[in-house]
Amino acid sequence: MTICVWCQREFQSSLALRDLLSWRPLPVPPLCASCQARFVPITAQHCPACGRQQDTSTVCHDCTRWAAEPLTNRALFRYDAGMKAYMQQYKFQGDYALRKALQAPLQRALAQQDYDVLVPIPIDQQTWLTRGFNQVTGWLRGQPYQQALLVKADHKTRPQSAKTRAERLVTPQPFTLDPQVASVLVNRRVLLLDDVYTTGRTLRHAAAQIYLGGAKAVTSLTLAR
Amino acid sequence: MNDLSEFFGRRIPARQVMPALGDGQVAVQRVGRRYRCQRCQQWVQPEDRLPNGAWYCRHCLQLGRVTSQTKLYTIPEPNRFTIPPAPILTWTGKLSDDQQRAARAVRDLTQRKQNQLLWAVTGAGKTEIVYPALAWALARGWRVAWVSPRVDVCLELAPRIRQAFAAVSQCLLYGEQPLPYAYSQLTVCTTHQLLRFERAFDWIIVDEVDAFPLTTSPLLQDAITRAEKTTGCHLYLTATPGEALQRQIRRHEVATTYLPLRYHGFLLPRLQLRLAWRWRAALVKSQLPRGLQRQVLAYARVGQRFLLFVPHVRALEPVMAALARLAIRNGVSVHAADPDRTAKVQALRDKRVDFLVTTTILERGVTFPAIAVIVLGGDDPIFSTAALVQIAGRAGRHADFPAGEVTCYAQSQTRTIHRAQRMIDQLNRQGRRQGGRRP
Repeated sequence: MTICVWCQREFQSSLALRDLLSWRPLPVPPLCASCQARFVPITAQHCPACGRQQDTSTVCHDCTRWAAEPLTNRALFRYDAGMKAYMQQYKFQGDYALRKALQAPLQRALAQQDYDVLVPIPIDQQTWLTRGFNQVTGWLRGQPYQQALLVKADHKTRPQSAKTRAERLVTPQPFTLDPQVASVLVNRRVLLLDDVYTTGRTLRHAAAQIYLGGAKAVTSLTLAR
Repeated sequence: MNDLSEFFGRRIPARQVMPALGDGQVAVQRVGRRYRCQRCQQWVQPEDRLPNGAWYCRHCLQLGRVTSQTKLYTIPEPNRFTIPPAPILTWTGKLSDDQQRAARAVRDLTQRKQNQLLWAVTGAGKTEIVYPALAWALARGWRVAWVSPRVDVCLELAPRIRQAFAAVSQCLLYGEQPLPYAYSQLTVCTTHQLLRFERAFDWIIVDEVDAFPLTTSPLLQDAITRAEKTTGCHLYLTATPGEALQRQIRRHEVATTYLPLRYHGFLLPRLQLRLAWRWRAALVKSQLPRGLQRQVLAYARVGQRFLLFVPHVRALEPVMAALARLAIRNGVSVHAADPDRTAKVQALRDKRVDFLVTTTILERGVTFPAIAVIVLGGDDPIFSTAALVQIAGRAGRHADFPAGEVTCYAQSQTRTIHRAQRMIDQLNRQGRRQGGRRP
């Protein structure tokens, strides 16, 4: 019997013969089947630019509007009601234990990505004080990363999630490059990691700073789109 | 000063530092080698630690997170109310003789500040019986909470109480409440919300004290104790006290008022057991016990409407299929996650459908006139003794149709079924002594 980290109910985790023969500690799934089903993975048919789930594999309408600032993003799950409920509890209520729910899928996705340096999107000082953790690095299970970005001290507005699309798009650059870490970016392929891709504004601001640090290529991976 | 009323008798984190509140108390405190949440009194798991070094409590996270860096503030309850003008009770209904007898008993015990239990059968009118005692308490300037573990009970109760005590300041609290908290004399809330209170209430009324999750949750039971003033007392309302409560009654540890008769004065319908050999295996092949088939066909012939309780959501579909094969089609199934739940219940009430196949969600709080009740698989652990008595209590609630058949199909007689039968018989024996009639 295992207890689901999200709904706190007991469930019977299934065991495959492969798990027994692998001669490793048995995997303990963090989520029960019904909670797992609340996350809808994005299938192969998605926008090649932003990773949005759609019926075709062509560049979506929003991405054609971003033609001046191209960025290749991959997303793991759809940003639907289930994912919103998860983010609400994890990020906004601050339930740090829920990080375990998505660590395994993120680990698999990172293994498939081609990159040299992983840079998670940082949170500002105020959020760090109230929330007590960075929601993005919480999903990492020991994968090496570089906190190359810093949030400007004077950047103090409403959170992105409380704004409309038009308001988000005119957000000024919130990030600066950490001068101590900047050297590791030179001529490297950098992967940005964030929680949700909504308009793409934040990730593009981050990518611009990383390019200033001399990176060869910048792509991004988000949990939800 | 108005601002601080939020802290009267409560234990909540302050948004900004207020000197009037004193030092406050750290929300998650170290006790020995472990950490304990001072709001819900639960132990914090050692892995529930944030990267910034703070421990946080997952048990009461829904009320807003508290960590070892949060401080909780409280102001001892001052009972700062203006006593509402008489008459406090603006309810105009009338109590029957039996109800009046019970209401007097409850009021007397309240005046003596005793902890008490009102054990009234399903459909006795428990809420109204408490009104006289509540009016007395409010006139004395007591701060009172009416709580229930079920949010639907609170939502149904709040407007009734608001009307019955129109001049009293009131406040309804639950998880998704749209209105902010307001300091008021009478608080209607879910038991979870009591975690925010500290020695606040002179009197706490706990409605449906046997309902999930209160019975299985020490956290919530503790919340009730802590929300009550040291000089306060409480009243439990139930139709089906659990084993622990019954033991207290037998030992005379809790003052008990019985109301074994329904408001219409008829006895409760008995729970009849019929054996159904391997109903579980048959259900997989979507077959119903032979006796049940005959019974529903007979109901269909005379136009008797019925409720059919099944143990699990996954049993709904085979049962519906089996009924369809018997050409009994004018009915629907309902379960907890069903979005049309209220509409379907209303359809049965309006006689637009002839039957409802349901899980235990309809075990309490619903009334249909002239309904027959069938339980399929009464030996399943989901049907506790309390659940079975409540289910049986769905039948015969209306004064014009006091009779009602309650049939339970099970593989064998079990202890829970036997206890449910015994509880109904025991109540009926008492009811007969008070002049109850067999319908």
